[in-house]
Amino acid sequence: MLTAREVHRHFEGMRAVDGVSIDVLPGRITGLIGPNGAGKSTFLAVLAGTLPASSGNIVFEAEVITALPAYKRARRGLVRTFQLPSEFAQLTVLENLLVAAPGNRGESLLGALLGKRYWLPDERRLVERARRLLNRFGMSAKESDYAGTLSGGQKRIVEIMRALMLRPRVLLLDEPMAGVHPSIVDEIATYLESLRDEGLTILMVEHELHMVERLCDPVIVMAQGKIIGQGPMTMLRRQREIVDAYLVG
Amino acid sequence: MNYYVETILVYAGVDIIACLALNLQFGVSGIVNFSFIVFQAAGAYTAAVLSMPPDTASGMSFQHYVLGLQLPFPIPWLGGALVGGLLAIPVGVLLLRRLRSDYQAIALLVLSVIVNTVITNYRPLFNGAAGLSVIPPPLSERIDPYTATYQYLYVGITFVCCLLVLFVANRIVNSPYGRTLRAMREHELAASALGKNLVALKLTVFVVGGIIAGLSGAILVGFISYWAPITWLYPETIVLFAAIIVGGRGNNLGAILGGLLVPLGFEEITRFIPTGFGPPGLGPAIQWVAIGLLIIGFLWFRPKGVLPEPRRVFNEAGIEESPFMEVRAS
Repeated sequence: MLTAREVHRHFEGMRAVDGVSIDVLPGRITGLIGPNGAGKSTFLAVLAGTLPASSGNIVFEAEVITALPAYKRARRGLVRTFQLPSEFAQLTVLENLLVAAPGNRGESLLGALLGKRYWLPDERRLVERARRLLNRFGMSAKESDYAGTLSGGQKRIVEIMRALMLRPRVLLLDEPMAGVHPSIVDEIATYLESLRDEGLTILMVEHELHMVERLCDPVIVMAQGKIIGQGPMTMLRRQREIVDAYLVG
Repeated sequence: MNYYVETILVYAGVDIIACLALNLQFGVSGIVNFSFIVFQAAGAYTAAVLSMPPDTASGMSFQHYVLGLQLPFPIPWLGGALVGGLLAIPVGVLLLRRLRSDYQAIALLVLSVIVNTVITNYRPLFNGAAGLSVIPPPLSERIDPYTATYQYLYVGITFVCCLLVLFVANRIVNSPYGRTLRAMREHELAASALGKNLVALKLTVFVVGGIIAGLSGAILVGFISYWAPITWLYPETIVLFAAIIVGGRGNNLGAILGGLLVPLGFEEITRFIPTGFGPPGLGPAIQWVAIGLLIIGFLWFRPKGVLPEPRRVFNEAGIEESPFMEVRAS
């Protein structure tokens, strides 16, 4: 579904991603773990196109997308979230979702100038869809709140909902549990499980190992820009070099 | 009509149009266009040379300029708007594609200084530092521009242009396109990761702003019949930024209020500061200090301005309630 071959990303001689090759399998949550500075988030950014690859190949649904900019990859269904909160702070929660939704005729300059009658049917359809999503994620009461006023966990949920508005084929999540209250961590995990069960493919960078163990199969371990192991978490725990590099404790 | 009142009303119209354009770029989209005044100047120069006779005509030999096509109204104004928009394309392509937003702001500021310096020192284009004068007012071949009827007409046409620009600005701001521009302002990277083509978004709003800025310049030059590099130095852009910050970023009504309060109201009020003491030039210097203090004061105490951007609330039927119904700060 999503394949990376020999992907490199260098920053002025520093090899942040050093020849990484992976296969993201459909309908599963693939975990990407590793110590700080391992290159996980950089690799995720390269997959999503927010950072260009220095070399290597990325194939998404049988199409080479290595040279495509981020917005074109997102439109094809490869959608990412960010390690740091990236909500549109001065837009309401509902607006955050509506921004992401494709297929609104009022989203072009010409469409906007043609007026509400031209795009209102699309808008109403998308509002309805966004409200269904808000309801599913228990955020209906926050619909008209500015996204910037939400808690850290709620912002994470908004980001996931926002990505879902694009009807992604593969969702790239960068530490979706980071900085989130433990009670909401479990909630997010449940949502991710249900999305997986519906057939969504997810690649997730995460530090919360108990969540990785619960959600992810397979798990890929990175250190110093390279992959040092992959497989089910139970198997990885038995590999000495991986335990030394990352899993101690 | 009193000439002073007419002047105030036309200036108010020009400032409102300029503020609505800058609000689209800066307030809504987050593009810190420190070269805004260049686009207004491009519209003014274009309207001037389209309406003036050739510089070889009798009575014009004291100045040198291109074109001199003597075209009838409204062609010079439309030409001014068009050139403002066309100029935005190469500037946008060069400066908005790759640079980060803070570097964009610096590059645009430098562009403003460079363009002004070039126009000042290159006489064949628009008569250099002396600028263009004796620019024929619109419709002056049909109506005597020194009559009250003409004054009413000019104010009326300016008012109609204000309404037209407000109509366009409202359509943009209150649409899904406007919402995407606001998202881009809030977090460029996230907007891009959600499938938004930032280059296209920036370029379109930059061109629309350029067109409106060009129109504002054309209206102004038709009224004052004079245009020179000294009238569009880069600090003039800062006054418009102050207007947007004071009025309320992202809100068209805020832009209108800012346009009335700052470029017009503030500069008119500071004229009444007593003169005759201190070194020469103290009065204008105090004006600039006051503008600076106004920006700092608002950014510190009321960063969202007098009329903040309205919160967008949708009703049960999925229709956005009128943003004019609820103007509240978070």
